[in-house]
Amino acid sequence: MKKRLFSAALAALMLLPLLFAFGGCASKSADIVLRVYNWEEYIDEGGSGTFIYDELHELDENGKPVLDGKGGHVHIDSDIVDEDYKEWYEQTTGKKLSEEGPELLDDFCLWYERTYGQSIRVEYSTFGTNEDMYNEIVLGNEYDLLCPSDYMIMKLAAEDRLEKYDESFFDASIPENYYVRNVSPFIAEKFETNAGLEIRKDKADEPILWKDYAAGYMWGTTGFVYNPKYVKEEDLKTLGWTTFTSEKYKNKITAKDNVRDTYFAALGVTYQDRLLALDENAENYVSEITRIFNATDENTIAEVEPTLMSIKKNIYSFETDTGKSDMVNGKIWLNYAWSGDAVYALNLAESGMDEEGNTSNAVELDYYVPEAGTNLWFDGWVMPKGANKQAAQAFVNFLSMPQNAMRNSYYIGYTSVISGEGEEPAMLSYADYLYGEDEDPENYYDLSYFFGTDAGIYAGEEQRTRRQLYAQFPTPDVIAHCAVMDYYDADASVRINELWSRVKAETLDAWAIVVICVTVVVITLFIVFVKFGNKFDFFRRKPKKGYRLVKQESPPRNK
Amino acid sequence: MKMPRFSRKTLCIPYAVFLVFFVIVPMLVILFYAFTDKNMHISFQNFIRFFSDPTKLSTIVYSLVIALITTVVCLVIAYPVAYILARSKMKKKFVILMLFVLPMWINFVLRVNALRELFNLLSGLEGLEGLGSANYFKTVFGMVYDFLPFMILPLYTTMLKIDKSLYEASADLGANAFTTFMRVTVPLSIPGIMSGVTMVFLPSMTNYVVSDMLGNAKVTIIGKFIYEYFGTDWHMGSMVALVLLIVVFISTWLSGGFKSEENVRGTTI
Repeated sequence: MKKRLFSAALAALMLLPLLFAFGGCASKSADIVLRVYNWEEYIDEGGSGTFIYDELHELDENGKPVLDGKGGHVHIDSDIVDEDYKEWYEQTTGKKLSEEGPELLDDFCLWYERTYGQSIRVEYSTFGTNEDMYNEIVLGNEYDLLCPSDYMIMKLAAEDRLEKYDESFFDASIPENYYVRNVSPFIAEKFETNAGLEIRKDKADEPILWKDYAAGYMWGTTGFVYNPKYVKEEDLKTLGWTTFTSEKYKNKITAKDNVRDTYFAALGVTYQDRLLALDENAENYVSEITRIFNATDENTIAEVEPTLMSIKKNIYSFETDTGKSDMVNGKIWLNYAWSGDAVYALNLAESGMDEEGNTSNAVELDYYVPEAGTNLWFDGWVMPKGANKQAAQAFVNFLSMPQNAMRNSYYIGYTSVISGEGEEPAMLSYADYLYGEDEDPENYYDLSYFFGTDAGIYAGEEQRTRRQLYAQFPTPDVIAHCAVMDYYDADASVRINELWSRVKAETLDAWAIVVICVTVVVITLFIVFVKFGNKFDFFRRKPKKGYRLVKQESPPRNK
Repeated sequence: MKMPRFSRKTLCIPYAVFLVFFVIVPMLVILFYAFTDKNMHISFQNFIRFFSDPTKLSTIVYSLVIALITTVVCLVIAYPVAYILARSKMKKKFVILMLFVLPMWINFVLRVNALRELFNLLSGLEGLEGLGSANYFKTVFGMVYDFLPFMILPLYTTMLKIDKSLYEASADLGANAFTTFMRVTVPLSIPGIMSGVTMVFLPSMTNYVVSDMLGNAKVTIIGKFIYEYFGTDWHMGSMVALVLLIVVFISTWLSGGFKSEENVRGTTI
């Protein structure tokens, strides 16, 4: 009896982890839980890289944030810090505020509690690709807020998986509505017009607008990060997209290890001449390049496939995140990158410089966008069906406060969709703070497309043409040549996936087939020998002189 | 009122639950997805697509070859090590064995990353520039480095168990060292070889972390294929997984992995 009880208890004990697995939930009490699903390393995570500029900090007389000038971490003077904030922060995180920059998510919790009187907890998780995120949603994982890219927003909206933003979210008179007041007119226009693309939905008659389903977060272009020591800008200008297939840069250039970006690049390589031949002033110019960069028909695929093959042959690697460090350590000369990653790589390479300006470890890297046109992309916040809309929209609004947009932008290198309110938008001051130089008409960098009429800053020639400023805020000329990615319908998706798998797959040469055949034969022989070897007298040697072989008796079997 | 009857069999319930939920059900789901299309209708389309596409077959063959080379290299390196350690009379041979196994205690991704950096450093040297794009070499190197302990351990324990008197008997009967090795040590260590081979061969067909990081993602093994298909097309992904399952089944069967007696002797870790 005892034994039985014992085994029952043991069995129950072994089942226990299962219970935890299903019923596991933190017991931390909060009125609301907000489940955010974002890209990896796509928000200010605090620590020494944080750019601290919250509402407690004033702008100086020139409208620039007060900083210690070292770029990045600012030691907060305890006089300025709100004591409530400091106490709360140190209690909840256990970190000293003056030593570590606060996490943006912690700040959000405090702000929410102050503004709406309810405590909130953020369950923050991250994904690596749009497709991973999409799978999670389709599987039924529940989130309140997601951050997909443009084409994925369209796909989710077309499949009717998203909640619309409330009308009150766009009411600028509500003080908490930071997004609608601070978003750049450029972004707002793109979101209202779907950047010229059409979202098709089976059931609905009226067109689907991005604006209704998504609020912007970051945006940018794609282009080449290059090392000017080995790669001349003029050379890039001549080659454009065909840099990918240029013998000169064999094994010195990388492509992205995902089909969307690399297919886009391959289209650029294949149709560069056609793209350059288009009339830039024609009314349908943008829609024409958008059409070329989004072609997925069979003829196009047949034409692009050889290009992809030669890209694969020519590049050093398909990479997802190793490109930045390979650029910095000089392993490669060119890296096809998103503008935000480009800024990150440029900063990283630059920081090798020591204080006397000695450039022993520092590498200058530059950024280049092909003239024939490139990808303009947006990442935005969307709410899947069943989301807690109030909290989700509050989170978007919080991220849209200029100081938080600065923090995120500074931390991750990408460009926020936020411009700021009024005559002197805060993000313009931020750009001026980072890149600004003497007022000289020659140094004028026009940013009116993003910040509104007459906006612009004065910056050095390098910043204007090839460095961080150029990557973060492209020139109007670059913007005019950009195409936004459309989403693939089911058939196109199959075609593209098959194309990608053909490109990535191994192809066998004749010599390889011979080698493989030989090895297979050898292995088969080996296995046959091992399995049946004892039946043959392979290893039996002839007995030495004076000995004779006795027939072996089979050992008796126990039955 | 009757007490529910508990017996020793009750102990099996957690395992049965585990097996059903984490082995049998997932297998059935893979089978289901492999033979359905996106509308969940039964379809052999994926099957046909897979076997009519030479690039997919080449990739399977490539994975097999890479796994095979890895296994052979591991065996060639591990066998002498295990033999020497098992037969030596060193007092502290445990330490040496530990040193071989020690890397297993360090995070796998970290080790592969470190290896990557090492290769980067080496390819900066004169005469070694080609190393940067020697993707297949680096992939196999990384796999050997990662799976070597899995080969050494079973070989070592099997050889340790060989009765010393067998060597003496062999010598008494006039066999020289080579004959003893070929006719006593090798046949008796076959269970160890088999379990080592299984433990190296199977994971090296799917371990695409190594091929991505060291092969610059230009080496595609079948595991990467499965991963990429599961990003967009679960049905094709399941089909590839199913084919891999069959390949693995066949190779396990060929290597005698299903013989229970040998497994008992060979299972060491």
